[in-house]
Amino acid sequence: MSTEVKPSWTASWLPFISNWQTGLAAPVLVKEAPYLAILPWLVSVGVIFLTLSGLVLAVYYSPAHAFESIQFIDRNVHNGWLVQSFHETGASMVFGAAYLALLRGLWVRGYKAPFAAVWIWRMAIFGLLLIAGWIGFTLSGGAMADWSLTRAAQAALLLTGAPGAFGTWFFGGPNGAGTLPRMLVFHLILGVLVLGGVAAANSARKAVTPVPPRGAVAFHPYYTTQYFVALSVFALIFAVLVFFAPRFGQPFLNLVPADPLVVPAKLLFPWYLAPLSGLGSLLPGIYGGIIGVVGGLGVLFALPWLDRSGPNYRPGALYKFLTLVLALDVLGLGWAASTSSGLGSVLVMVFGFWYFLHFLVLTPLVTAMEAE
Amino acid sequence: MRLIFAAALAAVLAGPALADPSQGVFGSTDKAAAQRGLLVYQTVCAACHALGAVHYRDLEALGLSPDQVAGFAAGIKMQDGQPATLDDVFRDPGMGAAAFGGAVPPDLSGIVAQRAGGVAYVDGVLTGYAAAPAGVTLLPAHYYNTMYPGGQIAMPNVLRDHAVTYADGTPATAAQEAADVTAFLDWTADPNLDARHEIGVRAVMFLVFMSGVAIAAKRRVWREVV
Amino acid sequence: MAETALDAVGHGTQSRREFLHILTIATGAVGAAAVLWPLVDALGPDADSDAAGHMIVNVAAIAENTAMTVTWNGLPVYIRKLTAKQIADNEFVVPGSLPDPAGYTDRVKPGYESFVVVVGLNTGTPCELEGNDPSDPRGPYDGWLCPCDGSVYDPLGRVRSGPAKKNLAIPHFTFLNNAQIQFG
Repeated sequence: MSTEVKPSWTASWLPFISNWQTGLAAPVLVKEAPYLAILPWLVSVGVIFLTLSGLVLAVYYSPAHAFESIQFIDRNVHNGWLVQSFHETGASMVFGAAYLALLRGLWVRGYKAPFAAVWIWRMAIFGLLLIAGWIGFTLSGGAMADWSLTRAAQAALLLTGAPGAFGTWFFGGPNGAGTLPRMLVFHLILGVLVLGGVAAANSARKAVTPVPPRGAVAFHPYYTTQYFVALSVFALIFAVLVFFAPRFGQPFLNLVPADPLVVPAKLLFPWYLAPLSGLGSLLPGIYGGIIGVVGGLGVLFALPWLDRSGPNYRPGALYKFLTLVLALDVLGLGWAASTSSGLGSVLVMVFGFWYFLHFLVLTPLVTAMEAE
Repeated sequence: MRLIFAAALAAVLAGPALADPSQGVFGSTDKAAAQRGLLVYQTVCAACHALGAVHYRDLEALGLSPDQVAGFAAGIKMQDGQPATLDDVFRDPGMGAAAFGGAVPPDLSGIVAQRAGGVAYVDGVLTGYAAAPAGVTLLPAHYYNTMYPGGQIAMPNVLRDHAVTYADGTPATAAQEAADVTAFLDWTADPNLDARHEIGVRAVMFLVFMSGVAIAAKRRVWREVV
Repeated sequence: MAETALDAVGHGTQSRREFLHILTIATGAVGAAAVLWPLVDALGPDADSDAAGHMIVNVAAIAENTAMTVTWNGLPVYIRKLTAKQIADNEFVVPGSLPDPAGYTDRVKPGYESFVVVVGLNTGTPCELEGNDPSDPRGPYDGWLCPCDGSVYDPLGRVRSGPAKKNLAIPHFTFLNNAQIQFG
């Protein structure tokens, strides 16, 4: 008697689903992975949610009347205020998870071989998220957003050579009627690129994650339940912000509609762009700004090589302490970049200097020291 | 590490409670005050200020019946001479800067959210008119105001005692009128506040429950592994 | 006996685990639906579209024997005020004698008999009608005339002759009061 098992219909019609189900049941994972390792997954879930809410917003958004169309969404679309808050607060949540994932990656030295490729892909995702976040900010049509876009477009026009050509191409000239429509398309493209980066990072991670020799568990139900806990707590924090502090971390002056004749006294950004804006204001001029921003992200990309420790994985007490100091430094940098006082501009210098000192001087020294 | 992240979590959950109270972290719209403020707004402010994000039909959210709102709108003549309908945006006075001595009065739809200090600031400007102190020379067509940045504001003091008569019998002192119109403008800046808080309480309760269920399920599954 | 006691314990934990399993999935499903619902709902008609569908028109200013044209749901709608003579001529016409039988009360709202509200498109060859202005050609019944195929309508919008076979369509509307009509 033949005992052929009929293949399930997913195997014939949607093999990627049956492959995924097989993968979920394969016992290849180590037991008791820590909760904090779920942070990058929360970033991806957040990005998918931003894509869904962003598509709904895009139905009603008009780049020619940016501020008014967002007011229309908030006041005249059924549950529009909730969808808009999903997107704006969701961006804060994605960046919150991303910054925490970055902190954890520094803490456990997640960039050490063989995970250097995974680290680079995740840093690429972080960079793309920051650009997408800045473009999303400009799309709001508020006074701060418009002024930031105007200054960036002006700066791009003043560059020469290849950076100038790229800048002119990107902004399409000074901030005018045609700028926001192209920013909207770039925002959508960046979302797609982020999802592609997530796929690349995931496949790189799977390629270098070893299967435990004994006691391995499958993703379902062991990690589906753990991930569901993480998602529930993430959603709880998200709900508290959406419903009780919807303007959390956003400059209130961005609620003033853009007016090219009124220049804000100080350019303010959403909290997740503030540290990078602080780094950009360290050195004077346009090239100084570019060096600050690109350098600030570049040192993170360069970590696998800045870290001079050997195959020994365990970070020592001094390294951990310096990592915490760095976290406080970045928080301070963001705060200092957002205040108008003279103290703020001094502190931006201090915190920014410490940031580069940490990566370019302290990291190689301390890791080389602890490796012995 | 867990301690740090737990502290971060607690800070995020507690933070909104410490945020600027005038933006309404908790609380609700005072509808009675907003209705009185609507009367003050229409009588005093609408002559010069626009409220371009609000439609007359939105006023039903203040507790007015559709007939009351239709009657209110019908009493307002729009730019084309026709009486306003429910679906019209609040009438824009449409006067250029020249009529106001150079500065067009700002649209008030979001003014409470657009100014540092929110409700306290707007109420303070409306009640902050005073005689210019010695040594301060007023610019032409400007007035001294203790709350306005720089002290000199182009808007005259428009609120007087008994400029309106409230339907609910509240005495219409200038301070009361200022408080009421500020409550109205607080509503126009954030008309979804009540819905947001109402849904929010239920959402947070559900998510606390869901987190509990998730933790129980995870522990049950992990107990059988280790 | 010990076996059955142990079995009972085993079954207890088994059913509890399954309950927790079902509870987790159900809670997650409710949460997912609750978060996706606003996204779906927001794609429905917004307040301005709802308003356009329930448009309110002021009819107090329409003079007798003239008509106002408004656009509702993409259609031209004529709101016409009849003269006493037009009402008298048409009130008692036998419906059976018309190409599309309809009585006077079928065409007007009770209490507002001097107003006729019709969609201003010929029911034969689709075409906008003439007759809103007193100086327009209105045909022999002082109603409307189609310039495309010559169909003739009376002031109540009933077809009297011509290629058209059906009366002018009446949109869904109500009189809020003497001065205002709400469509939809």
